Amino acid sequence: MCGLAHYFESEGLSTILVGFVREHIEVIRPPRSLFLDFPMGRGMGKPNDPEFQKKVIRAAFKLLEASSGPIIDDFPEIIPVKEGRMGYALPPQLVLSVDDIGDVDIVLSEVRNEMEALRPDYAAAIAARGRTTVGASGLAIEELAPFVVSFLEGEIPKSPRKGMPAIPLLKLVVEDLEAYYTETRTHRDSIDDLELMGEWFWEKTKAGRLLLLLEAVSIASENKVMLQIVEMSLMAPRFWSDGPLPGTSAAGW
Amino acid sequence: MTKISEMPAVGRHFMSNLELTVPTNDSWTDPVPANKRRVSIVSTAAVSRRGDKPFSWLAKDSRTFHKTERDLVMTHVAVEFDRSAWQQDLNTIIPLDRLEEMAADGEISSVAEEHYSFMGAADPVTMEKSARAAAAKMKQEGVNTVFLIPI
Repeated sequence: MCGLAHYFESEGLSTILVGFVREHIEVIRPPRSLFLDFPMGRGMGKPNDPEFQKKVIRAAFKLLEASSGPIIDDFPEIIPVKEGRMGYALPPQLVLSVDDIGDVDIVLSEVRNEMEALRPDYAAAIAARGRTTVGASGLAIEELAPFVVSFLEGEIPKSPRKGMPAIPLLKLVVEDLEAYYTETRTHRDSIDDLELMGEWFWEKTKAGRLLLLLEAVSIASENKVMLQIVEMSLMAPRFWSDGPLPGTSAAGW
Repeated sequence: MTKISEMPAVGRHFMSNLELTVPTNDSWTDPVPANKRRVSIVSTAAVSRRGDKPFSWLAKDSRTFHKTERDLVMTHVAVEFDRSAWQQDLNTIIPLDRLEEMAADGEISSVAEEHYSFMGAADPVTMEKSARAAAAKMKQEGVNTVFLIPI
């Protein structure tokens, strides 16, 4: 992001950047930057808090009063992160293996039942917010779990989405699945806690277990892209873990 | 302050070994006064309108969305950032409502019609062409101020 600032600025546009990694801002030197000591994914700080969001914007726009740069300022308020990690991370010891899969029909049935039970609250969340972020994959909600389960038998299924191969689609399906759960729960229980949401979805739900089984299949897979997904922490949230996922090097990046 | 040196192992390794492109010259455009600011947002959250082509994992291109658009989806390749915030309130990552309120209150002049999204996982060097194309479109609609928001 810092690099983009230079392109826009050199086109005659004044830029203001907010950023989460101060050391990177210091090296790349965008013209005007506001460092935010927030978890990643929360550039304006707090959802549904217009005054806090405007405080961030005003602090950023204040930098437009400087007569020269580059200039970096620190937003005075901190939203703490847990143990230096900028987002939720699975406990390193929570790893499943392909031996845990068992009967795939049972796995699918459990997730379907769980999703069905959440459906009224998901509908209420959409009604209240006027939007949903579920749907990046283009698959219907009832198609999400079956598509993931189809990978558990070790074969790469055919993609149902024209123009998109099965594995990139799988990633979007995984994210849609998680969004279905977290959109529902944040609304139903009025929760805004990324650690709690991560812990609930990945460690407590049947859908989270399904994705950990998918991760186990990916590690054992001979398909390079499936392996790359776990090496680069592109599916299960292990980027902020204390160590690499067993069986991988975490060196994909 | 959350420092790279204090991050857990995997993230720390990634953040400290990221190849950063350091500019040869500092860029600078004199800002216009607040009451003349027309603002466009550039996000690297890889969001797009529902039905638009998803971003590829290291996409060089960008997507555009209108200031009234709220039906956005995210196809960012990375999962290390929190997604629950933007699920609750789009303004947490793309504060269109806040900018509109600030325009109504006279804190800025206006909000641009069009806003832009890139794939934050890609090297910005590969996005130069798309960024300059976005800048040209911004200038055509009178934008003078760009608010850059990462994910």
